[in-house]
Parts: sequence; structure tokens; C-alpha cells
Amino acid sequence: MAGTAVRNEIRRLRFERGEMTQQALADACGVTRQTVIALEAGKYAPSLELAFRIAHAFGVRIEEVFQWGVT
Amino acid sequence: MRRRGLFIGLVTIGAVAIWLLLAGPARVLGFDTGNTGVVLLTLVGWCALYLVSRIPDGGLGETMSRGEWRAWLGCAFTLVIGVYSLVHAHAFQGPPLTHNPDANHVGRNVVMMLVSWMIFAQVLEQRWRGAVREDERDREIEARATGWARMTLVVLAIAMAVLLSFTPAERLAWAPPPMIGHLLIVGLIASCVVEYAVTALSYWRDRH
Repeated sequence: MAGTAVRNEIRRLRFERGEMTQQALADACGVTRQTVIALEAGKYAPSLELAFRIAHAFGVRIEEVFQWGVT
Repeated sequence: MRRRGLFIGLVTIGAVAIWLLLAGPARVLGFDTGNTGVVLLTLVGWCALYLVSRIPDGGLGETMSRGEWRAWLGCAFTLVIGVYSLVHAHAFQGPPLTHNPDANHVGRNVVMMLVSWMIFAQVLEQRWRGAVREDERDREIEARATGWARMTLVVLAIAMAVLLSFTPAERLAWAPPPMIGHLLIVGLIASCVVEYAVTALSYWRDRH
């Protein structure tokens, strides 16, 4: 998996929320910590449902977390 | 230091077990080396599982997902079973299994290893009960690996069909019915190896 065109701000948002741990985010979204690691590294593009869950966990809109990297 | 010593000890015992299974003499001091190899290999697996369970949070156990642990262990186990089956395939060139103690012996060891792996996999599942064990990424990797395994099985089945259909009967003396049955099982094991290997490599590439 070379990477994905979907960019995300998960790492920044975690730190803005009191350095929320990867495990805490994973638990809030019902995924494994390794999936959060893969997301932050840009190695995995989440499903629409997971993207909404992550945005909901941060309390922001989905486009504030994920952006389409190809213009 | 102590953990390093344990690791080296386990690798050494594992290597001896694999040698006994694949290349060692059939019997030493009256002991069946095949059975001894299976027992030693299972022992190494259990000890490795115990050591993994002792890794503190934030160690290797947290870096690798449950699915990746399972895939690497499954890959190693099924690879040993597959190589063992291939190395001892000549035993199936003899008479039918009811009159062929060598083939019976090989078959029994293969079944023992498969049963050991199934018990081992169940224990892994029990150990990780309660945590989020798999999510959509795991299922995506699993689906990709299953596709590769199915493709492997299809290719092997077609190769087998072509071989048996187009080769003159006199050149198929090496493949009596027990051997064909054994090759079909080897094909199944090969598809399992591919499935575990693709799964493990997918996880590994996600981490690097």
C-alpha cells in the first residue's frame, strides 16, 4: 500500500484536544490503535462511516478532518 | 538479557524441531523423530505465546495488531506444515494408506500440526478477548488475502487438471491415487500459506 490520496488532520486534532492518545481515539471510534496509526501515516483511507465517526469524536465537520489530496 | 537468552533458546529448539520434522532420521533411540518434532514445535509456539503475553504496554505487542501477530504465526506454522508435506510426499507413492505405514505416519504428523495450530489460534483469540480485535481495515486486508488464496487454489487446481489430463499414463507412475490426494492437500496448505503471507505483508507495509 503506497499511500492514499485522502489527507487527514487527525494528528493535529489529537494534539489540539489535550494530546488525546491514539488508543483513546481508537476506542472512541471502535477501531484498533494500529488503524489510527495507519490513518495518521496516510497509509489507509477510511470508509465513509469511520470518517464520520472520527469527525464526531473530535466534534468537527468531516471536511475539517479529511481532504481530497488530488486537485 | 534474560529475554534475549530465552529468545535464542526458543529459536534453537524451533530449529531442532524443524530439522527433526524435515531432514532428521526416522527414529533415534526408538523415539519417533517426527512426533518429537511436532511436540517440540508446539512447545516453542506456546512459549512464544507466553513471552508475547509478558510484553508490557507500548512494546512490540502494541505496535503490531492482533491480526498481524496471528498472520505471522499462521504463516510460519502453515509453511512448516507445507514443507514437511512436500519433503515427505514420496511416502504416498506406495500402496493405499491402509497398507502404507510410512504415509500413515506422515499424514498423522500433518494432522497433529494442523490441530496444534487450531488450538494455538483459539488461545490467541481468547487472550485478546474484550479488546477491539478487528475493524474495517482488518476486514479489508482479510478480503484481499482471501482473494489471493482463492487465486492460488484455482491456479493449482488447473495445473493439476492439465497435468493429469494431458500426461501419458506411463509417465504418471509417480502419481498413484494416494499421491494425488496428498498433492490436493498440499495445494490447500499452499493456499493457506499465501493467505497468511499476504495478510502479514499487508500489515507490515502499513507500518512502514
